[in-house]
Amino acid sequence: MHPLKLLYFIAKSLHDKKVDSKSRSLEAINDYSNFTNRMIIKRKLKYKLLSGFVLLILMLVVAGVISIIEFTKLSNSVNALIEDNYKTIEASKSMIEALEREDSGVLLLLLGEWDQGREIISAADSSFNKAFEAALQNLTEPHEDEYVQKIGDSYAAFKQAWQKPIVDTDKQGNITWYRNTIHQSFLTTKKNVNALMSLNQESMHAEASRLKDKSHRAIMPGIVTIIAALLFSVMLNFFISRYLVTPILELTEAVKNYKFVNSSLQLNIKSEDEIKTLEMEINKLINKTSV
Amino acid sequence: MRYEIVLKYLGIILLFNAFFLFIAFIISIFMVESSAIPLLFSSFLCLVIGFFPMLFVEPISDITFSEGIYIVVIGWLSTCLVGMLPYIMWGGEFTLVNAWFESVSGFTTTGSTILSDIETLPKGLLFWRSATHWMGGIGVIMFVLFILPNSQNPRLKLLNTEISELSKTSYKYRAKQIISILAFVYIGLTLVETLLLWAAGMSFFDAINHAFATIATGGFSTKNMSIAYFNNFNIELIIVVFMILSGIHFGLLFNTLTGRPNNIFQSKIVRAYLVILMIGVMLVALKLFLNGNYDLATSFRSALFQVVSLGTTTGFATEDTAIWPVFTQIILIYFTIQCAMAGSTSGGLKFDRVFIFIKSVKKQINLIQHPRAVIALKIDKRIINETLENQVLGFIVLYIFTLFISTVLLTFFDVGLYTAFSASVATLGNVGPGFENVSSLGNFASLPDMAKIILSADMLLGRLEIFSIIIFLSIRRNRI
Repeated sequence: MHPLKLLYFIAKSLHDKKVDSKSRSLEAINDYSNFTNRMIIKRKLKYKLLSGFVLLILMLVVAGVISIIEFTKLSNSVNALIEDNYKTIEASKSMIEALEREDSGVLLLLLGEWDQGREIISAADSSFNKAFEAALQNLTEPHEDEYVQKIGDSYAAFKQAWQKPIVDTDKQGNITWYRNTIHQSFLTTKKNVNALMSLNQESMHAEASRLKDKSHRAIMPGIVTIIAALLFSVMLNFFISRYLVTPILELTEAVKNYKFVNSSLQLNIKSEDEIKTLEMEINKLINKTSV
Repeated sequence: MRYEIVLKYLGIILLFNAFFLFIAFIISIFMVESSAIPLLFSSFLCLVIGFFPMLFVEPISDITFSEGIYIVVIGWLSTCLVGMLPYIMWGGEFTLVNAWFESVSGFTTTGSTILSDIETLPKGLLFWRSATHWMGGIGVIMFVLFILPNSQNPRLKLLNTEISELSKTSYKYRAKQIISILAFVYIGLTLVETLLLWAAGMSFFDAINHAFATIATGGFSTKNMSIAYFNNFNIELIIVVFMILSGIHFGLLFNTLTGRPNNIFQSKIVRAYLVILMIGVMLVALKLFLNGNYDLATSFRSALFQVVSLGTTTGFATEDTAIWPVFTQIILIYFTIQCAMAGSTSGGLKFDRVFIFIKSVKKQINLIQHPRAVIALKIDKRIINETLENQVLGFIVLYIFTLFISTVLLTFFDVGLYTAFSASVATLGNVGPGFENVSSLGNFASLPDMAKIILSADMLLGRLEIFSIIIFLSIRRNRI
């Protein structure tokens, strides 16, 4: 018994001066007992229905949270994909382009075009170094540093070959020297850059497959929850109909068909909830009116 | 029909699923795997939907026969539906149809898989696959019965619906005792096999998964090569022993363990089952040896494992039987149809029915010779009444008819005849592997989606012994 409520009923009974103190106290306790019972019974159906809606909301909230987590993971993976692989692939493309321009510059030097050749080579060297630095700063794959190191070494050999004077030397117009020295180091460097690009492309492809799975995992909780929520709603509707609507209809029908024969309503409500209380109260009312 | 009661029992079944899904989730979390969230969310959904009916439905004192059938059939369907949730949410090779197939195959203890690379699956999902076997092996309804309060009537009704009349013949106990015996034998065998496999060299994770699959006579392995992956004679021997034990009536096993009469040493049916199994092993081993496939020892070892594996409806493999001689394949198909004993975790036709059928044929021949004779059909000193005898004969005819229909339907979807027939036999018998495209070391991935749906239906028909489904459908039609 809640002490405050007990005190309230005792005080109320003491206020009533028509009955003696002993019976007043007993009546108060009975009143309190009926009151608490009524409260428990009354709230039973209410809580059941409330819990149904709470569970439904909980289901949607959890699905929402999971989807948000999965979409965040997906977003991070997309960023990582761009950061990790795309930048290196772009840098590799720049390096290949620069290498080809340098190769063209060397050919111009062989033809004796000093100014034009050196200008092209210088610009290409600058853009190669810039791209190489970008690749060096973006080592994300296993053993990627070894790939970059190989590019650095082969490019150093290539650069050493064309840095020495060509115009007005025996190398000018010497195609054999070009084919054996310059072109070989050019091909080796290009091959190393391509290897770096392939490594990142393969990784990007694998990550794209994982992204597909991640997006699937982000979408599925939503789809599953929609179906589960629909099923749950059907179930909730069934229970509302079975435990709330049907008894009320039965009660209504019983009241409608009630004939005043000094007897209570004959209903078969088994649940201990608000409907049962309503039935009891109607029967009490019938008893009072019959007296 | 009190649908609220059906919903309450379905809720309890879902709660069991939620429990095992949660264990799988813990494994996934521990291993830091991508399957953690799908498993957790599936567990949460099972918990919510399973718990809700309990808020409304008051304790009950009795259920009707039709309510029992509804609980069993819809219980199996709903458990298979929630079983596919973690698969479909995780993705990979699991499309909608593949997830359904894998889930049904797990719960019905068939062990056929659509996965071409099992080893890439997260450990949490691998455990869930094996757990579906373990739950389905004893029957999901049996779990419900085990935790039901002391309400004898609903328990008895559900027990009668879940296990066949034939399975009950070796029990002389009340419903509560039968359930306890089943649980005792089932859990006991699982624990012992796990420890033995662990001791024989498997990791604890593989040991528990393979023990789940063996005792449930399922067949899901954690390895692409099934048991062949381990290439360990001790492991094979342990699995063979436990496959045989799991294929024997649990009541007889219990009686044997507790030193009671009516045990496996006194049972003629067990003796006959083991003799036929050994004849099968010998024939297959001889053919393999004479054909030059293997030396004598390897022939016997391979034949023993494969015949026992298919003869108990487990479906583990140590060899690719698709490349074995046709004669051995026919022997294996026979065992796939015959299956193991009633009252065990095996599915399919069941050896008891074959035994009763042979006895019945013998009885008919005697009656032709002596028309006035009164001949009772007896098994282990028990008289098999005519109703049960007729049920058995009816079931065999229905089983073969279902097999035929399934094969025809599969060929309609352009599945080759041998694959269609062997896949139908393997799924209806809850065995697992067939031959040709769906052989012991292969998978069902290459089959069209419609074929997978038909085979899933076969698995459910086999597990529920066909009659339950027919009764369920007729209840719906006639509103009994």
